[in-house]
Amino acid sequence: MSDVTLESLTKAYGDEVAVDGVDLTIRDGEILGVVGPSGCGKTTTLRTIAGFETPTQGRVLFDGVDVTHVPPEERNVGLVFQSYALFDTMTVRENVAFGPKMQGVPKAERRERADELLAMLDIAELADRRPTTLSGGQQQRVGLARALAIEPHVLLLDEPMTGLDAELKTRLRDEIGDLLADLEVTALYVTHDQEEAMAMCDRIAVLADGTLEQVGPPAEIYRRPENPFVANFVGSSTLLEGVAENGHVDLGFTELPVAAETDGSVRVAARPAAFDLGEGSLEADVTDVTYLGDRTRLTATLPDDTTVTLHADGIDGYRVGDSVPLSIDEQRVHVLE
Amino acid sequence: MSVRKSATTSVRRIATLASTTARPTTERERERRRIAVLCLPFFALAIVAGFVPLAMLVRISLAEDTIWMDGWSFDAWETLATTPEYRRVAWNTLWFVGLATGVSVALGVAVAHALEKYDLPAERIVVAAVSFPIALPGIVVAYLITVLLGRQGLVTNAIAVATGQGAHGLASATAITGLFLGYVYSLLPRATMVLRGTYAEVNEQAEEAARALGASRWETFYHVTLPEIRPGIAAAAILTFRSGLAIFGTVLILQSHQVVTLQIHNEISVGSYAPDVAAAIGLVYVVFIVAFTFVGLRFVDDDAVEV
Repeated sequence: MSDVTLESLTKAYGDEVAVDGVDLTIRDGEILGVVGPSGCGKTTTLRTIAGFETPTQGRVLFDGVDVTHVPPEERNVGLVFQSYALFDTMTVRENVAFGPKMQGVPKAERRERADELLAMLDIAELADRRPTTLSGGQQQRVGLARALAIEPHVLLLDEPMTGLDAELKTRLRDEIGDLLADLEVTALYVTHDQEEAMAMCDRIAVLADGTLEQVGPPAEIYRRPENPFVANFVGSSTLLEGVAENGHVDLGFTELPVAAETDGSVRVAARPAAFDLGEGSLEADVTDVTYLGDRTRLTATLPDDTTVTLHADGIDGYRVGDSVPLSIDEQRVHVLE
Repeated sequence: MSVRKSATTSVRRIATLASTTARPTTERERERRRIAVLCLPFFALAIVAGFVPLAMLVRISLAEDTIWMDGWSFDAWETLATTPEYRRVAWNTLWFVGLATGVSVALGVAVAHALEKYDLPAERIVVAAVSFPIALPGIVVAYLITVLLGRQGLVTNAIAVATGQGAHGLASATAITGLFLGYVYSLLPRATMVLRGTYAEVNEQAEEAARALGASRWETFYHVTLPEIRPGIAAAAILTFRSGLAIFGTVLILQSHQVVTLQIHNEISVGSYAPDVAAAIGLVYVVFIVAFTFVGLRFVDDDAVEV
């Protein structure tokens, strides 16, 4: 395994810029999640690392070696697709042994390696089956085994869980996460599912319109978003307008003892968990109630007409039009710089 | 159940089917009627242009007097079975069309690969140029070959100038190579059209996965693409081979190789008039085509391109 560095990576298709000056390092052995809305450049970044796209500007380095113009077959990169992309005319074992075969590994050795990986992924009994006879989850395991069989410099996973049902997705997510951690694989994990990225990745990079908005550990991304886009894209946030002065932020209807780097107009990002429902001097008018089973999501209006998202216990019987008392936990808000 | 009872039940079923198709009361019956109406022109054409002429051919091939279609005789079939010349024509046709099919399909794979896998400059012009020969009559194809490879031909004279040889010795329009070129020129568009459809179904991500796993472009084609397009190749080969067997205009003009269509023409020409033998050859031809198609379709997946 090795580290992967993107230096000022830019990819344009005519006037359309898909990736715009991205600087990013995937550290040796880490799983880096890339999240962002559709069309933000996630897959283009992945394809550029794999060698299927040549950057308009910038460089791709594996362990400090420039591979920008190295063809895909010489990069030793494992690819896992959302659509599995298995070889339907081969058996599962032949699929997994294909990479080693291309590397010139002797037949007995590549068969042994394939069987070992299939056992590791708990699908040894499927070795002689054709991919078309397997379920989505089984096919994705085969895809992962096939990508790992070449002992890649970096494993690139392009939305591998999309299309799987929720229960299987959760199970597979945990299993794959544990496996990649055990193997200390350097991996880039592209997904639109923030929860998936948070659960599986050591760090997360948030992309928007081809630019890198923030990169950091999941907790940091969630708790300390650097800008309104990250605050709103990763989880849900309410952005409260205020004025910072002497270690306080005045929101107009209340004052929070939180420090900002500079005094003046600021925005405070508050997650639903930052609002303590049922107690406090503030009052909010409930405008929408959505029952989600384990919790109830409320949309309410603060005294200054700011709309906030609140989470209440699933058994609490809030109704539209209710006036609810609440307070803001200053430990759980973050002032955007 | 007795045979009579079973037959009565079948007749009743057919009568009910005909009655409900004519006067449907359920949506399923109405759909059946729509299908019957849509298929009616085909069946009418199949009877008028297919079965009736075939029945006539059978009768001619067995007629003692082929002008008045009087009497019965197996002479034509006996002639066909015992004359070595006819076996030679059959063999000539099979190897020549087989080779032209092989070359056309191989070129078709290359052209379809280029068209579907790469962004070609002036792609529409390339597509038009490749599909153009399908609209040309065989006689025009023969003329084009003559213009290129005849004694006055452009290519012939260019080679003559380049090598210092005489154009007469280099002309190949009326040699078997000229005819072969004419066949390939006519068959290539058919092979390409079928293969382009097949290529559109190829899983590009599987090809990318193969390359990421270390396969070169050629290895990716050999291990991943080729197995995927195999049904398309079989379909293209069936279509091309059948079309090749039917070529007549080109071979009539260039005359450099005796194939079955030219032989039928010769049998009904003034001088060697033998319509009963021509009919027998025609029937063997039809039976062969039908059998070949059925056997060939076993190599084509259900979801591959229809031929």
